[in-house]
Amino acid sequence: MNTELIISMGFVGAMLSMLGMGLLIAYYGSSKTRNIGFVFLIVGAGLAYYLAEMGMDAHPSVSFMNGMLAFLGGMLGGIIGIIIFLVAIIKS
Amino acid sequence: MDMSTDNLDIMQFFVSMLIVGIGVALLSTGIFTSYFGAGKSQKIGFGLLFLGIITLTFVIDMAFGTIGIMPDQFESATFKDALVSGVSALSGMIIGMFMILFVLMKVDTVDDLEDLDLEDLEDLDLDEELKKLEEELNQTENKEEKSEEKE
Repeated sequence: MNTELIISMGFVGAMLSMLGMGLLIAYYGSSKTRNIGFVFLIVGAGLAYYLAEMGMDAHPSVSFMNGMLAFLGGMLGGIIGIIIFLVAIIKS
Repeated sequence: MDMSTDNLDIMQFFVSMLIVGIGVALLSTGIFTSYFGAGKSQKIGFGLLFLGIITLTFVIDMAFGTIGIMPDQFESATFKDALVSGVSALSGMIIGMFMILFVLMKVDTVDDLEDLDLEDLEDLDLDEELKKLEEELNQTENKEEKSEEKE
């Protein structure tokens, strides 16, 4: 089992959720909540920097990019599946 | 960092996980709809469930060749790598979400109460306020009784 791939893909997932949620919280939050949103954004950007600069040098970048491809494929497949479900329910 | 797309294996990683994603989504939505739905919706749920099971069975057969219906389209080792990548990224997303929820719940996100003028509240004499309210109530009751007597 490729442990490095698991860790780096885990970081990718955490980075995506930090950036996404950080953006939402920083935009819609007020006072303290907004500050926390900015902190999440900084943490997400830090994770992205780590993955781009150091994470990929630790293991072959080809396998990492293939992992990203697999993740994107899985997400897209999930979205297509939900669209199929919605079409089936709405059309009935 | 090598960002070239020459070595990317779209068929082995992207397409395999695309089919797995569709299968998992159909399976999960099918389970929910068949369990919670009624009448026609329940039947659609069973249809989705069946379709999800078929999709996942076919993709597993394409990767591992356990049944032998479909051609061996995917290599088992790369399929495992792709599956591990997708699952670990999803796990990372879930962990990130939990971290965000934990921080938001732990940190006191209520706006500062410094702006609220509490001095007015401290000056209030509750007994006097109660007496005033009682007097007002009595006055309205007396008015109602007088109007009823006139009628």
